[in-house]
Amino acid sequence: MSNATDVNSPCGAHLARREFLIAIFALLSSLLGCGQRPKSEQRVVDLFIESDGDFLTFRPDTLTCPTGALVRLTFHHAGKIISARHDWVLTYPGKLDALVKDALDKDGVLLQNDPLVIAATPLCDKGQTVTTQFVAPKPGDYPFLCSTHPEDMQGILHITK
Amino acid sequence: MKLRKTQAVLAMAGIALLAAIPAAAQLKSPDDVKSSLKLLVMVSNDFKRQITNKNFTRVPHENMEYMEAADGLRSAVKDEPANFKAKVETKLKAALTAYQKVSDMSSTTPDADKLMAGHAKAVTAMNALFDLFPADLRPDPNTPPPSHRGPPKN
Repeated sequence: MSNATDVNSPCGAHLARREFLIAIFALLSSLLGCGQRPKSEQRVVDLFIESDGDFLTFRPDTLTCPTGALVRLTFHHAGKIISARHDWVLTYPGKLDALVKDALDKDGVLLQNDPLVIAATPLCDKGQTVTTQFVAPKPGDYPFLCSTHPEDMQGILHITK
Repeated sequence: MKLRKTQAVLAMAGIALLAAIPAAAQLKSPDDVKSSLKLLVMVSNDFKRQITNKNFTRVPHENMEYMEAADGLRSAVKDEPANFKAKVETKLKAALTAYQKVSDMSSTTPDADKLMAGHAKAVTAMNALFDLFPADLRPDPNTPPPSHRGPPKN
């Protein structure tokens, strides 16, 4: 006795036909793309940026990512001496001056739903690391800054096609 | 004869001055010293900017950061000979006192011109501190540090 399927018996022939149909279906499915990964699968881009030690600059001060990507940005406050807090705030092309003014007027405390802000990390103390994530908008050069040092700590996120 | 005597005195003074300033290579942590001096300049420039923009309430905050930068310098020279550390401390205290005075004035006499005059005196005190260090480690207190560049094109 065996559990092996006998193709010569009527029952075995039925099973073999069923397996054949399943195989055909699988083949057609793969040919028609039913098993493909979705074309629109979002690309994930990890970016890292930090303060230049205790100095008021970002390192690096330019970043690049493709449009539509899910950007996971990590900001590290690399200061060791000065207790100033920093963050990373992304704004729209042409809106840098308005955001600088906003940040200066509000002493670095920007509203969570500020219409000028695309994405922002929380403020952090020296030695700390914070993150934010966002979907990269349409291609262009998007300025970013630190809300507590908006005139000094600035940079550009190049969003490519 | 008198001229030779004067020359000898000047030469001796020059030698004494050179002996008092350690070469950068002789310092135990030249990079930390350079960084701390640069930080002092950065904060001093922030003082000036707050006064220029009449953000007088921000001046005490800058003073706090100046004190932190001063602590950074103390830490950077902690392994240097005691007599050099004493000289640094004396000049550093003079600079700290001058900046403290500006900070106090910002709340009692919030007058931009007077504060700028006070700041100029503080910069002079900071220059005297910088004179203790080798020239290649000294930032120019009157030159904005690299962080104060123009905004990126937006």
